[in-house]
Amino acid sequence: GKREKMARAAKSALVLCMDVGFSMSNSPPGEEPPFDQAKKVIQKFVQRQVFSESKDEMALVLFGTDATKNPLDQDGQYQHITVRRQLMAPDFELLEEIENHVRPESQQTDWLDALVVSMDLLQKGKYDRLNIVLLTDLSTQVSSDNLDVIIGNLGKLGITLQFFFPFPMEEEEHNEEGGGGDGDGDRRGSSRPGVGKGLSREQKQGLEMVRDIMLSLDEDEGLDQVYTFSEAIEQLFMFKHIERRPMAWPCQLTIGSSLSIRIVGYKAVTDEKLKKMWITVDAQTSKRDDVKRETVYCLDDDNETEVQKDDTIQGFRYGSDIVPFSKVDQEQMKYKHDGKCFAVLGFTKHDSIHRHLFMGSQTIKMFAPKDDEHAGVALSALIQALDKLNMVAIVRYAYDRRCNPQVGAAFPCIKQTYECLVYVQLPFMEDLRQFSFPSLENKKFTPSESQLAAVDSLIDSMMLVEEDENGQKEDMYKVHEIPNPAFQRLFQCLHHRAVNPGTPLPTMEQWLKDALERPSAISERCQAPLEEMKRKFPLKAVEKKKELKTGAQIFEPDAKKSKVDEEEEEFNLAKISEGNVTSVRARGLCQQLTHRIEQLLSNRSTHYYMKCITCIQTFREQSVKLGNADLYNSYLQSLKKSIPNSGLQVFWDLLVQGMISLFIGEEKKEVETEPAVDDAGDVDDLVSVCLNSSALKYLMFVS
Amino acid sequence: MAEWNAFYQNEEADEEQEEGEESAVNYKVTGRDSLVFLVDASKEMFIKGEDGEPSNFDITMQCVRSVYTSKIISSHRDLVALVFYGTEKSKNPRNSFKHVYVYHDLDEPGAKRVQDVEALRGERGARLAADTMGSGEVSLGDALWCCSNLYSDIKLRLSHKRLMIFTCMDQPHGGDSTKDRQARTKAGDLKETGVVIDLMHLMKPGGFDVSLFFCDIVSPPEDESELGLQVEPCGKLDDLQKRVQAKQQKKRAMARLHTVIGMNVAVGVYANAVTARKPSAIRLYRETNEPVHSKTRTFHTQTGSLLLPSETRKVYGNRQIVMEKDEVDTIKKFYDPEIFLIGFKPMEKLKLHHHIRPSVLLYPEEQQVTGSSCVFAALLKKCTEKKVFAVCRYTPRRNYPPRFVALVPQREEVDESNVQVTPPGFNAIFLPFADDIRKLDTPQFPTASDVQVDKMKEIITKMRFKYRSDAFENPVIQQHYRNLEALALDMLAPESIEDFIMPKVEQIDRRLGPLVDEFKELVYPASYNPDSKPAAKRKTADAGGGDEKKPKVEIPEAELRAHIKNGTLGKLTVPVLKEACKQFGIRTTGTKKQELMDALIAQMAK
Repeated sequence: GKREKMARAAKSALVLCMDVGFSMSNSPPGEEPPFDQAKKVIQKFVQRQVFSESKDEMALVLFGTDATKNPLDQDGQYQHITVRRQLMAPDFELLEEIENHVRPESQQTDWLDALVVSMDLLQKGKYDRLNIVLLTDLSTQVSSDNLDVIIGNLGKLGITLQFFFPFPMEEEEHNEEGGGGDGDGDRRGSSRPGVGKGLSREQKQGLEMVRDIMLSLDEDEGLDQVYTFSEAIEQLFMFKHIERRPMAWPCQLTIGSSLSIRIVGYKAVTDEKLKKMWITVDAQTSKRDDVKRETVYCLDDDNETEVQKDDTIQGFRYGSDIVPFSKVDQEQMKYKHDGKCFAVLGFTKHDSIHRHLFMGSQTIKMFAPKDDEHAGVALSALIQALDKLNMVAIVRYAYDRRCNPQVGAAFPCIKQTYECLVYVQLPFMEDLRQFSFPSLENKKFTPSESQLAAVDSLIDSMMLVEEDENGQKEDMYKVHEIPNPAFQRLFQCLHHRAVNPGTPLPTMEQWLKDALERPSAISERCQAPLEEMKRKFPLKAVEKKKELKTGAQIFEPDAKKSKVDEEEEEFNLAKISEGNVTSVRARGLCQQLTHRIEQLLSNRSTHYYMKCITCIQTFREQSVKLGNADLYNSYLQSLKKSIPNSGLQVFWDLLVQGMISLFIGEEKKEVETEPAVDDAGDVDDLVSVCLNSSALKYLMFVS
Repeated sequence: MAEWNAFYQNEEADEEQEEGEESAVNYKVTGRDSLVFLVDASKEMFIKGEDGEPSNFDITMQCVRSVYTSKIISSHRDLVALVFYGTEKSKNPRNSFKHVYVYHDLDEPGAKRVQDVEALRGERGARLAADTMGSGEVSLGDALWCCSNLYSDIKLRLSHKRLMIFTCMDQPHGGDSTKDRQARTKAGDLKETGVVIDLMHLMKPGGFDVSLFFCDIVSPPEDESELGLQVEPCGKLDDLQKRVQAKQQKKRAMARLHTVIGMNVAVGVYANAVTARKPSAIRLYRETNEPVHSKTRTFHTQTGSLLLPSETRKVYGNRQIVMEKDEVDTIKKFYDPEIFLIGFKPMEKLKLHHHIRPSVLLYPEEQQVTGSSCVFAALLKKCTEKKVFAVCRYTPRRNYPPRFVALVPQREEVDESNVQVTPPGFNAIFLPFADDIRKLDTPQFPTASDVQVDKMKEIITKMRFKYRSDAFENPVIQQHYRNLEALALDMLAPESIEDFIMPKVEQIDRRLGPLVDEFKELVYPASYNPDSKPAAKRKTADAGGGDEKKPKVEIPEAELRAHIKNGTLGKLTVPVLKEACKQFGIRTTGTKKQELMDALIAQMAK
């Protein structure tokens, strides 16, 4: 309803406040200057926002700049602070601006002044969340005047603050899981670089002040919002903190007709996809409008007679029957339900739900509504009871009236700071694939004791979770902390292409490559056990036996053949076939050609399809020249037959498209002057091959 | 174990396939599956069990019917045949075999066939079977020969051929060694042409002894150590259906990865479950109801000429960032297809809510790399023992960004009658990346007191049931097929479906009795009504929703007349015809489609 709409309309605002002053460019030889790192951090912030087309607004404040440009610039106060950009939706201009205009400058500015300027920017406009991100090396002397007032205002305005430094705030303190807001509190790895040694007096003093500010804003978790530059480049959680929260789904959990508990659901985990799609444009003009896609409907007759969409109706298959079933009837007869619902069907043992049969692409966490303590207690009773009995609720879940209802399980989830139900969809009977596989409890496959021992030591050497000296379990590889590499890589390339058009795409960033690899400690440790495994388990690749050549297999890829330089060979073939050749030679050439085509087709990519079409066109031209259409026609005939079984429909469609212009084009005259080429017998063949109305007309004219 | 590295054969042509659809298998490439039900129709099959339990013939027909309907829903392109042997009468393509009755030859199952099988069920079905086919002499050899002709008459490419024999006679020829030998020969011929023969042996007094005859008829098991036959004969429909279901679904690997653990280990990747959806509609030509196919063409707006893919480029988002097509692919490429082992973690590290998509099952491919099964079995055993799972980087195909999976060991499980209920293998659970996890603001509440929790425990205990993953049918899909069935068979109204995922509110209320009020008293103050706010909201939504208004199915008079003139009235559906009758004030007593049509034609002729 209305409330949801409001939630959707609300925007958050973020000020990126970056130190570009003199000391930021200083670094020990061989190390990346803090300035470069900080710039990467803000680029990543902006990238994410731009490519996800976020409506949240962003401002950019630089301090330590030679110039001064800010609204508070008065009486020599707030000097060397530049508001580079006012609050507005981030766009490519902002990316370009950062790329080209954010550069090291030579002043030093009190970061507290910069913070005040940033706070001032946030006072304008209505936002549901206010954030300031401050990046500095804290090298400047800070005046702590009015610190209390600043802290008071931050709290009053509800501004969330995040600090980023080139060094960690303190020695690694242990952060055991379970504390974090989303239940994934174990977010920090142990990989903080450069311990906070050798800090200057200013920096130490600055850190003290940061600690004061953060702890007075949030006594418990305030310090969690202080990060190092390298954390920010390689991980995502700090971005998550300031992102908008998922939409609330208010509903009632019902047990029977008279027991209901008010709940609110939030998507907690979901298979996140990119928001934007690739669009096809014309290669010359890069304009989308120049490309039009059109769908036509054809009868399944030899002519592929086109029919208008209006002359078609909707139908469905019922096995071998096709049943006309109009949209209206379908709408009227379809399964209907009462809409939004979270109703308990019953309760069952936790272990009767199999993890590998979770369905759908999300988990939802159900809480009581924020302001409803009674619901909170009632839900807590359910969660606690389920947890103690080791049971789960089986529920009917429907998002709303338009969505199909699901069956799913609601698991109790009890964390240090909160309780909730976790909902996961379960399969319907129709979804299950009940395969049976031969047992592995088979003498032939039973591993020997020594083989088992080898596996045992391999597993031991590759354990990613280990107890440290303090008996704490340390997980050295947390997949849920790795940013999706597909997004990272795409953003990197888009960003690059946007700010450096016309240059080749960059290679993958090293940190990302490393993040996807096995930890080096494990790699080292597993060397010896791995060698042992190799010795203990003999493995032999089975030679591929010659199988019967069926339609599908004609186009099976053949690894050995694919290394030839296609372009060249193609050219040569065309060249050879140009000369005067006897029909015997033609047959040989034809074999080479068709062989070539098959090779190309096996690559299953449009690039190669186009080459194939050229090949086939050459084949046809040569056949015409030689006055021998048999080979060509029968080849095309067999090719067509194999299409449905080989999954090459795309190729065939392209071929048919390509052939239209071929037939109508210059060849027409040529054939007319050589009527002997296609004798009557061949025409029929060709007609059934090129199921295409224009080709048909033309050929009938010839005969 | 540097590389659970993979050499991967992509059997599907469509590389552009959406990631989410990864589990959907493209059946086009490999040809059709076929299944022949060869059912004993001798007298013994019709004997009812004590206490009036259905006869073996009856449960076989129920089973065949359920396979027909499930094929229609899940794989309508498969071919199915139903052949009886030991009949009195004969009916087969060249009528060259006596006592063999081909009830349905190999074809796609349709509504008519479902009805045909339905007619053979129960008391009445037995009578119909007696009338049309009768029971007579048995020659399994002839029956198998006839079936092999069915296969050879099919012009389509068949990828998987299976024949299931349903019988309760362990010595079908009563010890006639000539006939036994002939049957063995014919079975051998069939097997040679790639037909897999299964025995679905049914309960009989004195037990079914497979070793007397059938052990030489059926195909050797995939796995040599096992006898390949269900040791126990089947007495219950449920069991029979389970066995048939398990056998009739051809396993298809979504991917074959030559995984390397510093050495070559081949595994196949199989879907555990795939969300079944309503099939998409097909377009029919209005005049003839014949299907039309669509072609999509890309052309240049200005010149009107067709554009080849090489003449286009890709652009992302609003701002025009232009890339070549192959650049778009390069961006997606990280690794060659592989399963790369990162390491192991204790089972408790696998978090329940870390779920982003349905899992897949890995099983070794011994035929590709000898020795794979042994490594696999050893890993499975050790991971189970040590209660660990493997974390792997998974790249299912070329130009596909990696995902991480948790490989969770799954030991084989069999039921009392030795039927596999859980296959051995590693379940690959997809793990979320940081992007997939949403940050939530968690509200905090006082936790419930022991008294409150205990009362809820009572409620829970009253509502306990045994969950089975195959217990819930999808009402949306079932309704859709009931509708199609009704239309295809000209039924008046679709068969009603049972909505298994609807809470049985009355039963729940009765079970819980006073517990609900007791619980409410413990947690809610008297003034509190959990239904108040949202309920009010919902009502207004309902009133404004306009959902009650049924869509009009009225048809203009001119169109109706045109249909009558062209003789195409039959294409209209029953609801439309009914509405039309109302529209023109026709009172029809009949509700059959033809009656409605006749009434309309009569009215319009006036």
